[in-house]
Amino acid sequence: MNKGFTVDCIGYALFAAFVLLLMPWMVDFSGYELNSYARYLALGVVAAAVALSWGTAGILNLGQALTFGIGSYVMAMHLKLKASASQPGGMPDFMVWTNVESLPWFWEPFRSLPLTLAAGVLVPVIVAGLLGMFMFRGRITGVFVAIITLSLMLAVQLWIINEQGWTGGENGITSLAPLELFGWSVDTYSLPFYYLAAGCLLAVLALGLVLIRSKAGLVLRAIKDDAARVRFFGYDVARYETIVFSASAAMAGVAGMLYCLVLEFASPTYMGLSLSLAMVIWAAVGGRESIVAAALGGIGVNMAEGRLSDLFFDQWTLMLGVIFIAVVLFLPRGLYGLLDGAREMLSARTGAVRENAAGAGKVVPPTGVASEGKTD
Amino acid sequence: MKRRDLLKGMAIGGVAGASGLGGFPGIWVKGGTALAASGDIPVGVLFSQTGAVAVVESTLHDACMMAIEEINDSGGIQGRMLNPYVEDPASDPATFSDRANRLVRRDRVVSIFGSYTSASRQAVLPVVEGQNNLYWYPTLYEGRECSRNVMYGGAVPNQQQQEFVPWLKENFGGRFYLLGNDYVYPREENNVCRKILGDIGGEVVNEEYVPMGHDSFSSVISRIRREEPDVIFCTLVGDSDVAFQREYRSAGLDPERMPVASLTRSEVEVSAIGGDAAAGHFSSAPYFMGHDSPENERFVEAYLRRYGSDKVTHFVNEAAYFQVYQFKAALEALGDAEVTPAAIRDAAVGLRFQAPQGQVEIDGNLHTHLWPKIGQWQSDGQAKVLVESSERVAPEPYWAYEGQICTAEGLQQA
Repeated sequence: MNKGFTVDCIGYALFAAFVLLLMPWMVDFSGYELNSYARYLALGVVAAAVALSWGTAGILNLGQALTFGIGSYVMAMHLKLKASASQPGGMPDFMVWTNVESLPWFWEPFRSLPLTLAAGVLVPVIVAGLLGMFMFRGRITGVFVAIITLSLMLAVQLWIINEQGWTGGENGITSLAPLELFGWSVDTYSLPFYYLAAGCLLAVLALGLVLIRSKAGLVLRAIKDDAARVRFFGYDVARYETIVFSASAAMAGVAGMLYCLVLEFASPTYMGLSLSLAMVIWAAVGGRESIVAAALGGIGVNMAEGRLSDLFFDQWTLMLGVIFIAVVLFLPRGLYGLLDGAREMLSARTGAVRENAAGAGKVVPPTGVASEGKTD
Repeated sequence: MKRRDLLKGMAIGGVAGASGLGGFPGIWVKGGTALAASGDIPVGVLFSQTGAVAVVESTLHDACMMAIEEINDSGGIQGRMLNPYVEDPASDPATFSDRANRLVRRDRVVSIFGSYTSASRQAVLPVVEGQNNLYWYPTLYEGRECSRNVMYGGAVPNQQQQEFVPWLKENFGGRFYLLGNDYVYPREENNVCRKILGDIGGEVVNEEYVPMGHDSFSSVISRIRREEPDVIFCTLVGDSDVAFQREYRSAGLDPERMPVASLTRSEVEVSAIGGDAAAGHFSSAPYFMGHDSPENERFVEAYLRRYGSDKVTHFVNEAAYFQVYQFKAALEALGDAEVTPAAIRDAAVGLRFQAPQGQVEIDGNLHTHLWPKIGQWQSDGQAKVLVESSERVAPEPYWAYEGQICTAEGLQQA
């Protein structure tokens, strides 16, 4: 537990340095690239969300894009109302087109920024909380959780496409106003916006790590290994599962809000099948056992996608596919597994050195910490 | 394809790659200097070649690239070559936005030619409007848009319907059954159709929408049997259109008594439906592959030679083709003046070009004056043009909405 905590801290610090210092430097602080990288960070957040429920508690959520999409729509609704302020009745253009008479009641709260930000987290939490209570109290596990989450996501997506008078339908919610935060009109191509995204990512990861390293996290890991035994110990398994499921939804909601800001529109494709499955792949590539590694997976795969599509116009999708197959075949624990394996090998060796050194009565060299740092 | 010279493969190392490129001439290095350094004109080409709508959208890409290469082969524009930056946005709106950003902000293109669906156009809009760039959009669409950064090459509802609907009523009767997929395009077209029918004394017996991709129409067919409309006014797209037409045929309905009149069905859909099932039905469009003009003969011949004799040209890839020539004409009109997206837009207004469909003209509202035609599908998969409009029809994207008009100063409200 203690050692795990140290590894977490070092990994987190390295990751923070990567995101805060190395990434903006890599792109020379140019506006276009910063915008793209901010998008990758948002996708990193949602990959971490997948890993939080999958890696920690063994709940594979194939419908993670549902809560992600909800976050993006919440943000889009606020920005759309701002953009429509000059229209008659403050109605968004697509409502006027589809002959909606007045603003639907559930749009009203999104005039306020604080309520919007709260809703971007709380609506996903409520959705996941209700769904989790229903599923986990019914002791639904494994592949059935995957099926239910996936179906619910597709159902909501269909509803959004069909109710175009309320949701913008197939085209989504477009022509948005820029976000205003404490009088700062957010320019999504600027360094401050990049750091806003990075700040959200790091804050969310820190909270996730706190949850994982708390007592609840320990119970969750036990549930992953053997839920029945934990239940016999008297723990309310369903409650713990619902908590982690909702926490993961909250993370996805934050990611969705960021994603909408970067792209300046919300679309039903944000809760689409392919994006949702891609999120699971990112988490698998990074390593589902660690949310930091999963976030890195989300960022890395999307950077690779951007880079490969730039260099190999025709074959990039094929190349990405080959990479995914290779990871699943040869690195079932993802990059994290690779690094963790290397760390264990190193610490076994330094452990041997340590024993020899202790035998000779010398001071232990501090290589252990350094090698752990490199491996996460 | 053309643009991603494999030398750049060496840059895969990311940052480290930059030094590796040092030895190459400036033209290889990406960025804002391309225009000044080489005299080439950078343009973006943004059509999906993979994903859900690639079957149609890749033909727009083909037509666009053909025009670019024709122009370059004949000496470019006043001696300057078009340098196409090709991207594949994979039918995904988020990827459209990302790639458009890359083209506009990094590659500094002066225009983008791109996209098929309304959703993808909407995804690109914030990017081109934010940077005041120019987006050449070749597809027919629902109207009610008046951006100063989009050149609309396809028809808006009034151009497809104002002759078509009265003609249908005259020949078959005024009882229309409106059938479409459930999204903004069919709903807008049907708003316009209702208005026209109201003016000429027709009626709508039913207005029905099915979800995108819906492909089981037995209950729709039985409702049609019950209503016995004179015309099935159809704005189904893609797979739905194909499935509906096949079920119509297997249900034994008669195109002579109850024809399907489509605004969306082109040679592409008909080849998927099969000529026999589509035969006898009607489409309204500014262009059909079978249209008889010397320009079209040249276009079809070049297209089939290049991409295979089994391919078809249709009303969207014809626009993707002529828009590149409109762009060329605008640059020639600019002469020695600085080439910026805004300057290209202003120079393009009022320009005429002899397109395969006839001579088209760009309106002050950046939509295009077109030559609507009514075609009847034949069993060989081609349309026989029955009616050609006698004059160019002006684009009025707010035609059905009184007091709103799209002008060179943007949308005016009365």
